[in-house]
Amino acid sequence: MLEIKNLHVKLQDEDREILKGLSLTVPKGEVHAIMGPNGSGKSTLAYVLAGRDGYEVTDGDILWNGESILDMEPDERAAKGVFLAFQYPMEIPGVAGLTFLRTALNSVRKKRGETELTTPAFLKLAKEKGAKLNIDIEMLKRPVNVGFSGGEKKRSEILQMGLLEPTLCVLDETDSGLDIDALRIVSEGVNALRSPDRAFLVITHYQRLLNYIVPDKVHVLADGRIQKTGGKELALELEKSGYAEYTNKAA
Amino acid sequence: MNVAVMKTKAEQAISESFEAAAAKLPGSAAVKERRAQAIGTFGGLGLPHRRIEEWKYTDLRANLKEVLPAAVEDKTPLTIGELIVALGPLAHVDAHRIVFVNGHHRADLSDIADAQGLAISTVGKALQSASEEAVANLASTPAGGDAVEALNTAFMTDGAIVDVAKGASVAKPLLIVFVRAGSEANAVTVRNLITVGEGASATIVEASVVLPGAVRDAHFNALAEVSVGKGATLNHVLSAVDEGKSLHLSNCEVTLAADATYRGFQFSSSLGFARHGANILFDGEGGKLDLSGAYLARHSEHVDNTLVVDHAVPRCESRELFKGVLDGHGRGVFQGKVIVRPDAQKTDGKQMSQALMLSEDAEFDSKPELEIYADDVVCGHGTTSAELDSDLLFYCRSRGIPEKEARALMIESFIGEALDKVEHEGLREALASYAMQWLGRSPRG
Repeated sequence: MLEIKNLHVKLQDEDREILKGLSLTVPKGEVHAIMGPNGSGKSTLAYVLAGRDGYEVTDGDILWNGESILDMEPDERAAKGVFLAFQYPMEIPGVAGLTFLRTALNSVRKKRGETELTTPAFLKLAKEKGAKLNIDIEMLKRPVNVGFSGGEKKRSEILQMGLLEPTLCVLDETDSGLDIDALRIVSEGVNALRSPDRAFLVITHYQRLLNYIVPDKVHVLADGRIQKTGGKELALELEKSGYAEYTNKAA
Repeated sequence: MNVAVMKTKAEQAISESFEAAAAKLPGSAAVKERRAQAIGTFGGLGLPHRRIEEWKYTDLRANLKEVLPAAVEDKTPLTIGELIVALGPLAHVDAHRIVFVNGHHRADLSDIADAQGLAISTVGKALQSASEEAVANLASTPAGGDAVEALNTAFMTDGAIVDVAKGASVAKPLLIVFVRAGSEANAVTVRNLITVGEGASATIVEASVVLPGAVRDAHFNALAEVSVGKGATLNHVLSAVDEGKSLHLSNCEVTLAADATYRGFQFSSSLGFARHGANILFDGEGGKLDLSGAYLARHSEHVDNTLVVDHAVPRCESRELFKGVLDGHGRGVFQGKVIVRPDAQKTDGKQMSQALMLSEDAEFDSKPELEIYADDVVCGHGTTSAELDSDLLFYCRSRGIPEKEARALMIESFIGEALDKVEHEGLREALASYAMQWLGRSPRG
């Protein structure tokens, strides 16, 4: 279970607070969506969960399975099962996708006390998981994300997720830059990973993604706090009325 | 006027070293005469220093304190097994091989039996022969007034002479291997002569390697004279891997005939104090140059890559990409001069030099120079220096990769772009393995 308690976050070199007492609980097996206007703190929340530098938690805590992750390095969090699918996946010229995936997978396996995969075993697994996302081995021989289309980059994120088998999946604006076909493939990839052992936090600006990845709960994030929580119908409501109500409240 | 009083101790010692070695250096009377001329040329020039523009950042006079005796002969025992250890990742490349230990040819370690399309002989033998052609070819100092090249002519002991037959397409690379072994601190001086016949293509590697446990203080001076014939292609890889204490001076003089292609790659890892010079002359229209390099330096190591690309004729294309990784007090120098002569219209030249700085004490000096005298040309250059990208580092770490490994992966990523220029897969992987060893990573299986 993910428990975010009264989380206050500011940028390290600025005084302005971005998250102002955010509280949220996502039990295992559930998919929660976070929706909110631009600048509400959605991406900050995603980065703070994954442990990116540059943010300062001034108050509150984040517990994953009862354990605070705030003092953990990003790679420790990954080993504990935290995975962030980036809004803008990074390009790594000069490093083949397969090398990157294998290094990542064996790093987390090692930390989780599992044996490292041999090259043939890894290749078999990568082929298998890639096929479901329309990613062939030739694509994985290319440098990570270099020259990939928006859709290819997001599919490659979901492949990473599938290989690393995280238990807490945070998807940051995964729908941005996707056409309908890519959206379907990516969503199918995500849905295939849904399981009673896994919690999902799906961050999005638009309701569209939630037609494909149907959430158990929807939270509205505005002005650094959860302003409202509801069922999946809340997303449809927001699509009609927009965020004005919440931003006004905030102002 | 007595010139000698102007000399530094080292310059004086070099002249004395030549006197001591002269009788033992190989060569006919004509060669000996050329050697004496060369040491005279050197005497006039002295060791290059920072007040000479081309040596501004690489003050050889200040850094060459101790002159080591010339390696006029070698009796170091070296087995095939030791050679393989010294070669490291390069040993896995399926290649023809000619081996020199401490600057002297070792037929027993070489393997050139079935090198079809290649005529291979040695400089040592050519110097001993009385052939005037050999003397003219070998004992000249190509660029004239270069002190390091003059020293090469004065002291050279051996090296490879390779002729690629007209029209031959040689699939297997040829490794010209220079091994340092034994416990004596010597100055090794070698010369290579490469001629690629019309329409031929070949891959030739000059690899400088060290047998683990060998003396770490050593001087190495190599000069390659390369001529690529009409429509021919040469892939030329220069690789030097050392242990941070040696002095490496290398020069490469390349002439390209019409429609010839030269793909050069200069790799160096942990050389103590190094200067790699490359002078490329386009001598016929339609020539193509792709010259790249990757260098790794840490502690107080110093690596200088200096190029002069001379577009003397129209319609030639040149590309240069050099990438350096600098840690500790490591210092990288890049000087890239591109000359476009008045007649060299339709020249297309691009140059890029980049350094990745891993420490605040590292230094990178980059000096691109374009001298353009023609008006219908496309030429550009760029240079960058940067630290590791913290966003990229976070991306890797968020995938579970520990910081140290993530950094290594990103450094690999940085130089990988340069290494990709090496077309031969096995060679590319061998160089990547050297780089990974430098990074303290085991090569991927």
